[in-house]
Parts: sequence; structure tokens; C-alpha cells
Amino acid sequence: MITRRLQYELVKRLAAPLLVQLQGASKRLKGRQGPRPGSPFGPPLKSVALLKDLMTRHYLEGRYADGAVPVAWVTSGFPVEILRALGFFSIYPENHAALCGVQRLTPELSDAAERVGHSRSLCSYARTDMGAVLLEKTPVGRLPRPDLLACCTNICQTVLYWYRCLADHFKVPLVLIDTPFVYGESQEHHQQYVRDQLEELLSVAERIGGRRHSSEELVRVARLSHEGTLLWGECLAESTNRPAPWTGFDGFFHIAPIVTLRGSEECNAYYRHLLDELRHRVRHGVGGIKEERYRLMWDNLPIWYNVRDMSTLLAENRFNIVVTTYTNAWAEAGKRMDPTDPVGSAARSYTHIILNEDLDRRLELMTRLAREYHVDGALLHSDRSCKPYSIGQVDLKDRLAREAQVRALLLEADHNDPRAYSTEQGNTRLQAFMESFA
Amino acid sequence: MRAEYMREQKRSHGRKVLAVLPIQYPKELLTAMNVLSMELWGPPGAPRGPGASRLQAYVCSVARNAVAFVQAGGAAEVDAFLYPHACDSIQGLATLIPDLGGEDKPALHYLNPKGGYRPSSRRFVAGELRRLAADLAELTGEPLSADRLSWALDLHREIDRLRARLLDGRARLDMTDSDLYAVLRRGEWLWPEDHLAELKLAASRLAPMGEVVQRGVGLLLSGIVPEPMSIFDELSSMGAYVAADDYAAVGRRVVRKQLLASEDPMDTLAWLMFAYPPCPTRSTSLGQRMDYLDRLATRSSAEGVIIHTVKFCEPELFDVAGIKERFGARGLPVLFLESELEAELSGQTITRLEAFVELLTQRRKS
Ligand code: SF4
Ligand code: SF4
Repeated sequence: MITRRLQYELVKRLAAPLLVQLQGASKRLKGRQGPRPGSPFGPPLKSVALLKDLMTRHYLEGRYADGAVPVAWVTSGFPVEILRALGFFSIYPENHAALCGVQRLTPELSDAAERVGHSRSLCSYARTDMGAVLLEKTPVGRLPRPDLLACCTNICQTVLYWYRCLADHFKVPLVLIDTPFVYGESQEHHQQYVRDQLEELLSVAERIGGRRHSSEELVRVARLSHEGTLLWGECLAESTNRPAPWTGFDGFFHIAPIVTLRGSEECNAYYRHLLDELRHRVRHGVGGIKEERYRLMWDNLPIWYNVRDMSTLLAENRFNIVVTTYTNAWAEAGKRMDPTDPVGSAARSYTHIILNEDLDRRLELMTRLAREYHVDGALLHSDRSCKPYSIGQVDLKDRLAREAQVRALLLEADHNDPRAYSTEQGNTRLQAFMESFA
Repeated sequence: MRAEYMREQKRSHGRKVLAVLPIQYPKELLTAMNVLSMELWGPPGAPRGPGASRLQAYVCSVARNAVAFVQAGGAAEVDAFLYPHACDSIQGLATLIPDLGGEDKPALHYLNPKGGYRPSSRRFVAGELRRLAADLAELTGEPLSADRLSWALDLHREIDRLRARLLDGRARLDMTDSDLYAVLRRGEWLWPEDHLAELKLAASRLAPMGEVVQRGVGLLLSGIVPEPMSIFDELSSMGAYVAADDYAAVGRRVVRKQLLASEDPMDTLAWLMFAYPPCPTRSTSLGQRMDYLDRLATRSSAEGVIIHTVKFCEPELFDVAGIKERFGARGLPVLFLESELEAELSGQTITRLEAFVELLTQRRKS
């Protein structure tokens, strides 16, 4: 344990920073990559390099975390502040699965999960993750073994079914924060339920982490988390400007720190940097795409393995995704956070998440975003793998047109599994949709 | 038939009728408040009518068919809807049908806590029950009475006792699976006292302990809902029968535990909500569920397991690997069938069933 701890601290404090510096230097030697000639995109964001460093360090530390510090595998919407305040290192299987998705590893990993009996109808994040566990294969070198699985149902029930399988596989405890679905406003006994569970979580995490929590530390982490979500919201809001200084697709990648490092100083430092850059671009009229004629909203997860192709097709036709309901979710959560009441406000903010709210609330939010970001249309990714996000989209599409005058296209795909998406068909539908704006 | 029965219930007994979506809900509360539940588990076949495409084809057919059925006016005569919190799909419907289907009926909710018993979830259930009772009181114009609730709790325990006897004593029951399931599933829409009378009749056909009536290959069937019901005739014609049931619509809703005695029947009801057999939609741990299935198979001497589940049903599908592994280790063959809530079994499914039963028959001989 002591050697492992030593190793971890060495990697965290010395090796990881050194490695990312070396990587950065070698990139600089090779020369900065500007936009390809004829590219429809604006100049690349400089912050991307910093983002890569940040995430590389995170996963590098992760390789040495188990046995050194308590490790939790956590769902993206889990109130992680409590675990962070107790010194847990957290891994986000969804974020890791997205990394695999971008690298088109899902078919191979999913096949491994399917071979032991998991159906291809399951969420492709879950299949990717379970496949990675079974094959012990990951693009980040190694994932630390969890001491605790931490799951919150505010994004879906799927995560719970998935984490039950992980708990069975790793033979470690699974803690659950069950957030009752919100119809309108969350009711008092629902809030009480979530608060009670957060208290239960505290005692389980203390036992596994081997230390008592300190209220000051909890408030400190909650404050950082609150600040981080607000900063993230400010970054997104820069796209209310014309032209938007970046694209919604960029946002899908820059969301990683707020998901995985929420509640840490490094996360906030990163977003301060990004915000500065975005503001600078706005001041100088630099857009995410060179010629922004039409502005679109995106609903649901990205199609990870196809982001580049799709964003190019859109940009070539002078369409920019300026807002996405997915990335906005983390910004919305911050509005209800109150660091002086870390448990009570976590109950509120983590319950009122777009995926945990009824369709009327979703329509309200999308209508507001459409107005604030001045969008001309919307792309609703009907995601075969994500039922909670996709149910109701047929109606949302009609209602957006009828009640908010936003014309929308429903695009059938799967966020991680390219086998469930026909690029040709998707592009044809997208082309036809774009032509309808001419 | 259901429609006529419902009208009669309203007319003769002044009962309100609730269309209830799957799966688990405090039926005792409804009974106590003179409310009849009409559960919506389909109807089987492809979704029909103008609402057929309101949900994408990758959503389970239980949800898709329910939307189509309601939009086509299938639930026009009910007084309200009840949405138990079974899964993401049902949760989604809870806002889809009332908001957008032109149904101006009240939408009531019952949110099942996930993850098994915890002090937090026990308090939560008590709160949910109080809220639902208040909603029902508004619907019926009558507040809940403790005496009526005690009566309803007893009535439903008697029903559970008989349902358990029929399911657990299947090998001694002189009835076809088709007939048995017809009786059991009529409980989805009959007034509980009427259902009880039918169960008593069926139970009178149980042979004395020790005698065996069913001599075919005994199977454990697990899934959401036994549709199409023709599966039972097919199995029977192949020489097999359902020795143990783990359908969410049937066996997983039978409480076998002794009722907790409490002064306050609401406490008892809250306790009851945790007393059901393990179900992935409530997310009891995988280990607990596997142990339960193991016991079910052992107790019924099942010779094989059929996982008969609805396509795209994530709660069920996540457990399939675990079930295969558990029974594989015990040497008990497992057949996995995914269905779309078809009106009839497909030729391919029948062939797979035949091959499976044949394999089991041969194993028995050898
Ligand atoms: S993609 Fe959808 S179903 Fe899958 S884990 Fe995320 S929210 Fe849940
Ligand atoms: S079949 Fe499965 S996914 Fe569909 S409503 Fe029932 S529990 Fe939910």
C-alpha cells in the first residue's frame, strides 16, 4: 500500500506533468497544426492542447491509483463532490466509453460483451465499458480497479443495470443515489429521499475511504464544483454571439473536465483559460466555422465516431451547431447549487437534470435555448442506445416546429456503435434538411 | 369483454377505473379506495393506429403498443392513468401520453425506489403511498379509510397465497398452462374479489401433496410478460410445461413472505412494497436475483430455463448474461428468446423451442 501510494504520488506530482510537457514540446517542434487549406473551420482552439494534457494526466494518474487511494467508478451525473472530499480518485466509464467511441473501438469491445450474453440492444456505452473490462483493453493504458461503484439514476436507469453487472464482476459495493423523476418541480419527500441517500453515501464512502469527512472540505469541493459549472456555462454562452466562437461539436470534447474533474481546481483553471480564449475570439469576430450562415441546436448525445465528418459537412454548408442540450446539462445543474449547503443543494441540483425531467420541461428548455442562441433549426439525434433521451423526440420535433417555430430533423443513429448508423443515409437526410433552409 | 366488464363495474359499483402501466404498484391502495385497475401490457401484435410511430422502433413494444393503443382511444373510458416507475420507457410515457396524446385524464404516479431496501427508501415509499392516496381521494371524492386498507391487504394476501399455491404446485395442478395463465392474467383487470373466486376454483384442481399430474419437461420461464400466450400451447404440444414462473407480470408480483403486523396498515403496505421477489426493474442486486432464480429452479425441479423477454427491454437484457452464467455453471440448459410482443410466435421461434425441448427430453432419457 505504501509503495503503491508512493508510486501514485510520484506519477501525480512528477511523471505526469513531465510527460505532458514533453508531449507538448514535441508537438511544438512538429509545428502547430493550423486549419487544413480549404477547411471550412475557423482556427483551432489553442485550449485543445491544454485539454489533452489535462485528460492525459487524469488517466495516467488513474493507472496508479488503485491500491494507493480509494477508487470509485462513477456515473456522469453522480454527486461526486462527496467522494472527492473524501479523497477518492474517480473514473467515469461513460467518458472512457466515449473515448473508445471516438477511436471506433466499440464494435470490438461490444463483441466481447455480446459473447458473454449481453444484447446489442443495450446502451453502447455499457457494452463498450463491459467489453473493455472483459478484455482489459483501453486506449488509456489501464483503468484502476474500483473499490466502490457510484451510480445515480438522474440520467437513466440503464446505468443502474449496468453498474449491477459491474458490482457483480468486481465484487465491490455499489452505492446508489436514486433521483425520483421530476414532473414539474421535485416534491419535498423526493428531495428528502435524495438527501437521506446522500447521508447514507457519506457513511459508506467514509468506511471504504477509511476516513471521516470534514464539513470544510465538503464545502470547499462544492464551491469548486459550483464555480466549475458556472464557468462551463459561461463558455457555452459565448456561442450566443454571432459568429459563435466555437462549435457545439467542440463543446462535446471540452465537456470532459466538468464531467470527470468536477470539483477540482484544475478543472476550473482549465475553463478560465478556455473562457478567455473564447472571449478573445468573440472580440475579434473569429468563428468556430469560417462562414456561419445558419445556427442549429443539437439534442442528445453526439455521434462520437462521426463527429468530424458530420461537423465538416455542416460547416461546408455554413451551418454551425451553436448549442447542445447535452453539454448544457452541466451548466444548468450549477444554477441550483449552493456550496454553503452541499448536501441539500446537491439533492436539488442533481435531481433537476434534463434527462430526469418531463417532456414539457425539456421543451421549455429547448425553446429557451433556441431563443437565447438564435437558432434557425434543430438536429435531434434519435439515439438507438439512449432510450431516455430519445423517447418523446418525435413529439418534441413537432412541438418545436409548432410552438417555437424551430424546424427540426430527427436523425437515427447510435452514439457509440458505428454498426447502427448508415453514414450515407444520414448525410442524405442532413443534406435535404440543409437545403430546406435555402 | 374487458370494456363491458369495466362499464359494469362503474355502473353497478360506482368504481373508478385506472389504466395502469407496468409493472409494480400498490394495488391494495386502489382496491381499498374502490378503484379498479386495468393493466396495459400490450395489446400484442404490431402497434396500430395514428400513435404507432410516436415512439422509435428501438423502444420496447410494451411501451410502443401502449402509446398506440391509448392514442387510438383504447383507454377512452378509464378515469385516469397510473404510471408506476418501472423503467426509463414507462417514465417517458408518463409525460408523453397525457401531455401529447390528447388525453385530458389525470396522470397519477407511483415511483418505485430502486436498489432494494434502505432506510431512505422505506421513508420514500411511505411518502409516495401518502401522495398516491391523496391523488386517489381526489379522483374518487372519498378519503382512504384504514379499515378498508386493512381489508384490502388481507384480500390481496389471500390472492397471493392462492397464486403462489398454483404456481408452486404446478406439477400437481390438473390444468393446461394456457388455462392457468388465462386465470392468472385475468387478475390484471378483474376486481380482486372476482379474481379470487376464479383462483379458488383453479386451486380446487390441485392434486394432494406428493401426487404428480404434469409429466412433461418442466421449465423455468423468465421474462416480462407471457405474450403471445400461444407459447403455452406450443410448449404443451412439444411435451413441456411451465414448472416455475419468473415473469414480471406474473410470478414476480406474488408476495410469499409473511405479512408484517403493524397497527397502521399504511406501514404494512410500505413494508409490502419491498417484499416482492427480485426484479431488475427495481434493481435488487444481481446476486440476490440469481440466488432467487436458482431456488425457483431447484424447488420446481426445472430441467431447463427459457429467458423469454421483450426486445429492447434493458432491465431484463442486462441480466441475461448473469442468468446464462449461473445456470450454465449448474449444467441447466438456457434458451434465450427475444420477442416483439408478437400476436403469434414466429416459425423460427417455434423451431427453436422444439429443438430446446427435444434436447431436454433426450437429456432426461439419458
Ligand atoms: S447513453 Fe443514455 S442510456 Fe446510456 S448511460 Fe448515457 S444516459 Fe444512460
Ligand atoms: S418491457 Fe421492459 S423496457 Fe418495456 S416497459 Fe416493460 S420493463 Fe420497461
